[in-house]
Amino acid sequence: MKDWKAIAQGAGLEATGAELDRIVQALSGLEETLRPLLRELSPELEPDTVFHAGENGA
Amino acid sequence: MTIREAGQSLRKKRLSAVELATAAISRIDRTNSTLQAFITVTAGYALDRARVADAELATGRDRGPLHGIPMAVKDLFATRGVRTTGGSKIFENLVPDYNSTTVERLEKAGAVLLGKLNMHELAYGITSANPHYGAVRNPWDADRSPGGSSGGSGAAVAANIVYAALGTDTGGSIRIPASFCGTVGLKPTYGRVSRHGVLPLAYTLDHVGPLTRSVHDAALVLNAIAGHDPLDESSSRHPTIDYTPDEGAEIRGLRIGFPQSFFFERLDADVESSVRGACARAESMGAIVKPIAMPDMAGINAMGRMILLAEASANMAPYLDERHRFGGDVLALLDQGRLVSAMDYINAQRLRRRARREFDKLWREVDCLLTPTTPNTAPRMGAQTVRLGGVEEDVRLATTRLVRCVNVLGLPALSLPCGLSHDGLPIGLQIIGPAFQEGLILRVGAALEAGGVGIPPCQGALG
Repeated sequence: MKDWKAIAQGAGLEATGAELDRIVQALSGLEETLRPLLRELSPELEPDTVFHAGENGA
Repeated sequence: MTIREAGQSLRKKRLSAVELATAAISRIDRTNSTLQAFITVTAGYALDRARVADAELATGRDRGPLHGIPMAVKDLFATRGVRTTGGSKIFENLVPDYNSTTVERLEKAGAVLLGKLNMHELAYGITSANPHYGAVRNPWDADRSPGGSSGGSGAAVAANIVYAALGTDTGGSIRIPASFCGTVGLKPTYGRVSRHGVLPLAYTLDHVGPLTRSVHDAALVLNAIAGHDPLDESSSRHPTIDYTPDEGAEIRGLRIGFPQSFFFERLDADVESSVRGACARAESMGAIVKPIAMPDMAGINAMGRMILLAEASANMAPYLDERHRFGGDVLALLDQGRLVSAMDYINAQRLRRRARREFDKLWREVDCLLTPTTPNTAPRMGAQTVRLGGVEEDVRLATTRLVRCVNVLGLPALSLPCGLSHDGLPIGLQIIGPAFQEGLILRVGAALEAGGVGIPPCQGALG
């Protein structure tokens, strides 16, 4: 898992301790959900950044 | 009264557009100090437009179903010469010199625009408790949230101020206020309605759509605003149709998917009962309600949150050092987005493509899905958590749980009221369809509405 607190401090985020805790909790939760999915990605799967629903999804 | 009914009255000269606009302005005057639905009211402009609408009808020029109809737009649609704040302090003095494509199309269709509707700051949240322009309240119960981010749009339609309003939906922001305020809300397919001139929150998740008092009215507004726009790079060239459902629209033989997982977990008991009731009604009308296995919806929600965090913070990057100009909840999300790496964002977009492929397979088995819009009814103003299925959940995450995934997939979804809770609050039913099948989900919604799925008009504390 990433050390989100260190990343936040490294980025110079002006957040209080409690705010930082909430940020870390939220991002850690997201990372935990996405991490197992990322392991299943094949290299040829490209990102969806140019996005047209129903036109290039399949 | 719906758009259709008001239009009939206009054409039979029982009412004039000026009378409709005057009634709307009077209602704003009576309710806005409580509801806080409008940030800017353009009463003089609306009356001028209404006079033109009446004059045109008198000389036989009829622009169609929206001619002379009072409407309003969320305060992130660019309006020429009218302040467009995005609900934010950052844009408090922004006065565009152009109209968004959707505003332009509404005006061409003859709609009379009453002003700019309050919203969650920057459309980045679900309460519409705006720290700069006032907290929008729910017309059904002024101690409750109207939802958001298009909270002013939901409140103004539910409180009978305007017949329809435009909202935007990045993670449920049309459907959530529709659910909490007891209106219809339509999020079309990504690319179906132009985003040109709409202050962005997240480029690949933002959608524009209407909130209305009936499914038929939502179709009428979609007819006016849908279609390719060369000014919006994400705008689709997929052909438009007349989205208006036929009278007596049938759903016999239609395959309606009833999700076996995710969408019916951790629901308020009244929500579950009303939505199951609507499914039973669909079955009794001849639809084939099929249990259907769902892809990993929680994973899709997580992709959506990651993409939203990154895109919203990238979009607001020039202002991130002006921390005092943001509300606390929005600032917390912008801070989170600053920490997301390019790798996190790109991989979320790769997962998104895979999820869309998985969903394409689902549409071979069913024509649409029926789900609750929100797992809960409107929370009390200021509530931070909500208890569902014995679990205390963050109110934002709970409220967006069943809608965010649809933005990630770019699919069209309609929310319509399907019942009231034991304490008299509206409950929303969500109909999700394949890409560019707005006509289908509107037909299903219209059939259910005609079949008795719905609620009485709001008679809330505001009178």
